[in-house]
Amino acid sequence: MALGLLKQGLRRKYKPQPVLPPRPELKSSYDVVIIGAGGHGLATAYYLAKEHGITDIAVLDKGYLAGGNTARNTAIVRSNYLTPEGVRFYDESMKLWEGLSNEFDFNIQFSHRGHLTLAHADSTLRTMRWRAEVNKHMGVDSELIGPEDIRRLCPQLNLSEEARWPVLGALYHPPGSTARHDAVAWGYAHGAAKRGAEIHQHTEVTGFRTEGDRVTEVETNRGKIRCGRVLQAVAGASSQVGAMAGLRLPIHTVPLQACVSIPMMPFLDPIIVSGTLHTYIWQTGRGELVMGGSSDPVPGYMTRSTLDFKESLMAHVMELFPFLGEVRLNRQWGGMTDMTPDFSPVMGETPLTNYYIDAGWGTWGFKATPVCGYRMAETVAKGTAPDILKPFRYERFDTFDQVGERGAASVGH
Amino acid sequence: MNERLPTPWGALLDREQPVTFTFEGERVGGYAGDTVSSALLGRGTWLQGRSFKYHRPRGPFTLVGDDANCLVQLPEEPNCPAEHIAAVAGLNVQGQHYSGSLKRDRARFMERFARFFFVGFYYRAFYRPRGIWDYWEKFIRRAAGLGSVNTNTAHCYRDKQYAFCDVAVVGSGAAGLSAALAAADSGADTVLIEREPVLGGGLNYHRFDADGSVGSALRAELVERAERHEHIRVYRDTQCTGRFGDNLLALVHANRLTKLRAGRVVVATGSIGQPAVFRYNDLPGITTGSGVQRLMRLYGVKPGQRAVCVTANGNGYGVALDLADAGIEVAAVVDLRKRPAAEPRADLVRERGIAVHPDSGIVHAVERDQHVAGLRVTRRSQAERDGAPGTDIECDLVTVDVGATPAISLIAHAGGDVSYSNETHGLTVRELPPGMHVAGSVAGPCSLSGARAEGEAAGRAAASGAPAALPVPTERDGPENDPWPIFAHPKGKEFVDFDEDLTIADLRNAVREGFDSIELVKRFSTVGMGPSQGRTAAVNAVRITADQLGESVEGARASTNRPPAIPERFGHLAGRGFDPVRYTPMHQRHVDAGATMMVAGAWMRPAYYGRDGQAAVREEVRAVRENVGMIDVTTLGGLEIRGPDAVEFMNRMYTFAYRKQPVNRSRYLLMTDDTGSIVDDGVAARWADDHFYVTATTGGVDSVYRRMLWWNAQWRLDVDIANVTGAWAGINIAGPNARAVIEKLDSDIDFSAEAFPYIEARSGRLADIPVRVLRVGFVGELGYEVHCPAGCAEALWDRLIEAGREFGIRPFGVEAQRVLRLEKGHIIIGQDTDNLTHPEEAAMGWAVQRKKPFFVGFPALKARESQTLTRRLVGFRLPADTDPLPEECHLVIDGDRITGRVTSISYSPTLDRPIGLAFVDPERTEPGTPFTIKGSGGTLIEAEVCAAPFYDPDNERQNL
Amino acid sequence: MKLMHCPLNGWRNVGEFVYGGEVTPTPAHDADPKAWADWVFMEDNTAGVVREWWFHSPSSYWFIAERDNVRDVVLRTYPPEEIFRERVDFSREGARNE
Repeated sequence: MALGLLKQGLRRKYKPQPVLPPRPELKSSYDVVIIGAGGHGLATAYYLAKEHGITDIAVLDKGYLAGGNTARNTAIVRSNYLTPEGVRFYDESMKLWEGLSNEFDFNIQFSHRGHLTLAHADSTLRTMRWRAEVNKHMGVDSELIGPEDIRRLCPQLNLSEEARWPVLGALYHPPGSTARHDAVAWGYAHGAAKRGAEIHQHTEVTGFRTEGDRVTEVETNRGKIRCGRVLQAVAGASSQVGAMAGLRLPIHTVPLQACVSIPMMPFLDPIIVSGTLHTYIWQTGRGELVMGGSSDPVPGYMTRSTLDFKESLMAHVMELFPFLGEVRLNRQWGGMTDMTPDFSPVMGETPLTNYYIDAGWGTWGFKATPVCGYRMAETVAKGTAPDILKPFRYERFDTFDQVGERGAASVGH
Repeated sequence: MNERLPTPWGALLDREQPVTFTFEGERVGGYAGDTVSSALLGRGTWLQGRSFKYHRPRGPFTLVGDDANCLVQLPEEPNCPAEHIAAVAGLNVQGQHYSGSLKRDRARFMERFARFFFVGFYYRAFYRPRGIWDYWEKFIRRAAGLGSVNTNTAHCYRDKQYAFCDVAVVGSGAAGLSAALAAADSGADTVLIEREPVLGGGLNYHRFDADGSVGSALRAELVERAERHEHIRVYRDTQCTGRFGDNLLALVHANRLTKLRAGRVVVATGSIGQPAVFRYNDLPGITTGSGVQRLMRLYGVKPGQRAVCVTANGNGYGVALDLADAGIEVAAVVDLRKRPAAEPRADLVRERGIAVHPDSGIVHAVERDQHVAGLRVTRRSQAERDGAPGTDIECDLVTVDVGATPAISLIAHAGGDVSYSNETHGLTVRELPPGMHVAGSVAGPCSLSGARAEGEAAGRAAASGAPAALPVPTERDGPENDPWPIFAHPKGKEFVDFDEDLTIADLRNAVREGFDSIELVKRFSTVGMGPSQGRTAAVNAVRITADQLGESVEGARASTNRPPAIPERFGHLAGRGFDPVRYTPMHQRHVDAGATMMVAGAWMRPAYYGRDGQAAVREEVRAVRENVGMIDVTTLGGLEIRGPDAVEFMNRMYTFAYRKQPVNRSRYLLMTDDTGSIVDDGVAARWADDHFYVTATTGGVDSVYRRMLWWNAQWRLDVDIANVTGAWAGINIAGPNARAVIEKLDSDIDFSAEAFPYIEARSGRLADIPVRVLRVGFVGELGYEVHCPAGCAEALWDRLIEAGREFGIRPFGVEAQRVLRLEKGHIIIGQDTDNLTHPEEAAMGWAVQRKKPFFVGFPALKARESQTLTRRLVGFRLPADTDPLPEECHLVIDGDRITGRVTSISYSPTLDRPIGLAFVDPERTEPGTPFTIKGSGGTLIEAEVCAAPFYDPDNERQNL
Repeated sequence: MKLMHCPLNGWRNVGEFVYGGEVTPTPAHDADPKAWADWVFMEDNTAGVVREWWFHSPSSYWFIAERDNVRDVVLRTYPPEEIFRERVDFSREGARNE
């Protein structure tokens, strides 16, 4: 419980229990090279070591550890997706989330909030019901609820029928949660490094050397590495790294912005999402409101902030919570998301026999961190993707075989 | 006791207008011109806040709100910086984040357990046994948070304005004023932005010279010119909270957000005083030197009785002189420098007998009654040695001038490069973003004359469009920054970040925990993540982190500086929250007829007429089947496709075939996207070989139009496409008496069955209104879809209502239409189809003409149809007594497998049983085949596949 | 908001425009499904200067922009006629457009 605090506090001298490992030297070869030390890359290294005994791993990142989208996302975790294959996949993630703090021995502050996706029009209500029915059928707790029940869960929400977009109902997903996003990466990093994996920050991949259909060498700014198997897990740079491996991906990179308020006493319990209003909002344990909206209207490789993002977001936030006008915004930021045509990832094998891919995570990647690490580790260890990943295979687009998820990503894009 | 200084101190005060407000329940007296903070300080109340973790007493540090020590609560507003609230009569101000009262905060006991709240402590606890975090979190949530939001606060009025200028100058100190004047003198349309109520910045209070006259003289000259200048617009009391693409500046003032588009921007925002880090350096009464000078000169506050001026440059001496002039005893000037440079202010300090301690370090401050009561100083090299001898100086005010960090927010927002420089011992701009100039101390320590010269140069360059120049640090001769104003104490409590209660050990330990860069240290320790976003913490955090890492601090970057530069209210960003809604020209008629309106995309449409939905829909359906009804179909939109290539274009955009469509006849339209999925349908009436009039689905026409233009930008067919949705309105009059009604109106169109059969189209005049009339079959009755110019819509509506009166004509809404079309088995795009449905799945293969060389989506369709079908849309029916009815999107299952879903379902008043459309297993589509629907609560309901149309399967009634 | 230069209307707020995807040549109308699938789904997604379709919404005008999508700077905008110069025919031989 708080024993750890007591022990450390009572010591005469602070004794560090290092979370992140010291920077290692880069070796000349590794069994597995993972490109991208974000949540997904680190989780994969962790499960490779833990579940499959593969420890000769180098996780490379051109920046600082988990400084990409893992650092920037708004940390909402849920499994209330639309397709059976999506629900199955994200639900497996939820099960892994539940035990993660204990597995890490590190509190990632996994917080059960409850998640409400509001419906403001008949068509949306129908889609919410569709999601609820698929969820329930697959054993995931979701239900379509009406304004009365919404009021009980979130009394501060504006349920007036005079609103421009009155709330007609909501998809209620009690398991919806949040977590401290950086801590998840650190937990996986710690666990992977403890078991022998190496994490190399500020190590940028500059190319690959291939022989036939295999990658034999990974070229970096710190030297060349011979490799047994390679995984790319680099949200925001998937197409660039993929191109080095000769892959063209169904991805266009679009900025996604978010923002946070000054901390306040708690007043908002659940996570509130509105697709119609392009808004999602929740309140952290520190009391800050974390808010985001739809992707930027224009693709690009930028993390800059814009004024119209927060103007339209605040207008919508105040439609849902009209009393927030005097609350102050403290910071806005952005990340680069890899959007796919069917709002589902690209995972598994590629035409190169020892090169694997985890990409196309758009705005839906953080919640999948554990299941992605777990299943990509399985893929890399065994050489083939398990059934649960098959719907997300790279070749599905060759035959126009999209996953039918558009409508479950939280806000319009 | 009267703490206010006599005039000329207190330049902003109007002493003729006393103001009284309450703070924490006590009456506070001040004057018009005071802020809440200055009025409180004026009567000696320095305790204005409590720290986040330890609930230590806090008071203003920068005295201008660059720190966040004084966030107070107003009845409708949490987290309000007391330095920015104008003191007005009747204000009710409370402190925040305490248990009991601000003065006696019971929660300060947390401080005694500080050793257990080491950096990142919450990652190390509260998760065993599994699930316990849910319990602990409730407490932590309640303990956190600063102000309280009042959920009854009304949606306040705030508005927005656009403004434009050639040159925007942010900051009106010596540099900014000089820049604005130079730009304006060059003829540029100039805007000058100042966050304080008065122009002048440091010229208002800084003591540049020994006798303190230089500042005010210069101020008088420059401010007067700026305020009179015909090319300068002044925005006072205005925060520039961000700089966005192409020099768009967000200006917040009063109730307005002004979005200023500037050709060039001159950033002259000055710098922010930094703390010295030593044990108990956060006590109320320890402030920046410039803050105290401002407090005295502008607000007439006597900041204490006995002061110590800690300094590492000439400024502290100026502060000492000001304090002495105001009658405050200056116990000492404590200079961190080994050999302080000689200069007039220092000379005068010595002349006046004020003690000076050079080469000093600070051991600790002393607290008494939650305020600073003394300082222990010693030789600098000894300051961190346990038990070193030192001098205890009693005081109730400590001013700090150990350095300032440039206020570079706007430069960072624009992508400028800022990093630590060992030359200036602070953050410095390395590269300016395009379109931006700098002048003054925002570019590092500089002298007054330097600030003026740079301002003039920047203003001229900005006005002429010349490239911006970055001042060279070594040539600027400004008040130097101390490279390491940090004194670790064995017992700690040397606060680096006031917001987060983080000490030197916390940052060093973060590095030792493996967080080996400033970004990781920030994320683990939360340094710089509080309300002041590191404005008084980042520089020392960078220094300590570099030191702990054993790395040079040269080139080190603080974590990214992001908008807003200062916290801004949601209300300013939201403005009035305009959200357009689109009405048809007949909207008022619906409202007058008692319609319950519904949202249909951006449009409003009548759902039904009356209050009781169920009854209204039933009766409206009956009216159409047995008599006559009319519905506003304007929202379907209209496109004119005209030109020699009109047919070719139609054939390429839609799946069906249009070449042989006769003139004056309509044809169904089905559109797929590049993936072969259905995106729209509609009807096209052909008026001539080269002229089609197209309608779409509600809200769909704009995107159809856009697609068409995009394709033709590449095909370059000889065709003109016009979106006439706004120009036309439409009414569909349907029912066995439809012809009787319409024939009552004067017309040149022959509406008889022989002259105007089903699926044909005519244009002409109806009751003096130019019309286009289509006979279409959506609801399955004899009907006419009448399109007229939007301006005639109400007249058309009125004519039809009048003509139909003897038949009891009823307007019907979207809900009734849904039932009527369902009885005919017609699909609604987006309801019976989703974004992956291709025509075969929706039983729409008949609308695809495969002999065409190409239409949009054809290649995808061919590929997808070659794969096994996984679902197919069928009609179904349920027993009449099914209760409750399943709803749309209830699943169709086969054991455990989901094989489809219900897309439309309704009780059919005409057939007296429930009917619907559903996706089912493609092997089970024979009429009569049973399938299972999983309804509410998981109840299984057996349905039967049924051929569509359910009603009038031979389509006799619509062919009348 | 950033500014963008519409070839028809001059400098406007970027909020008046709709992004329309990379400019890529359409495959021949009778090309095999994989070529079409590539065109529909696969992207270069280059970081750097890209050629894109843009639509000025208020005037319903499509045009082409060359944009640096890392620095967020539009380098050039021009009418589509500059690239699409000829009428596209779907003759039996499978005419191509460029």
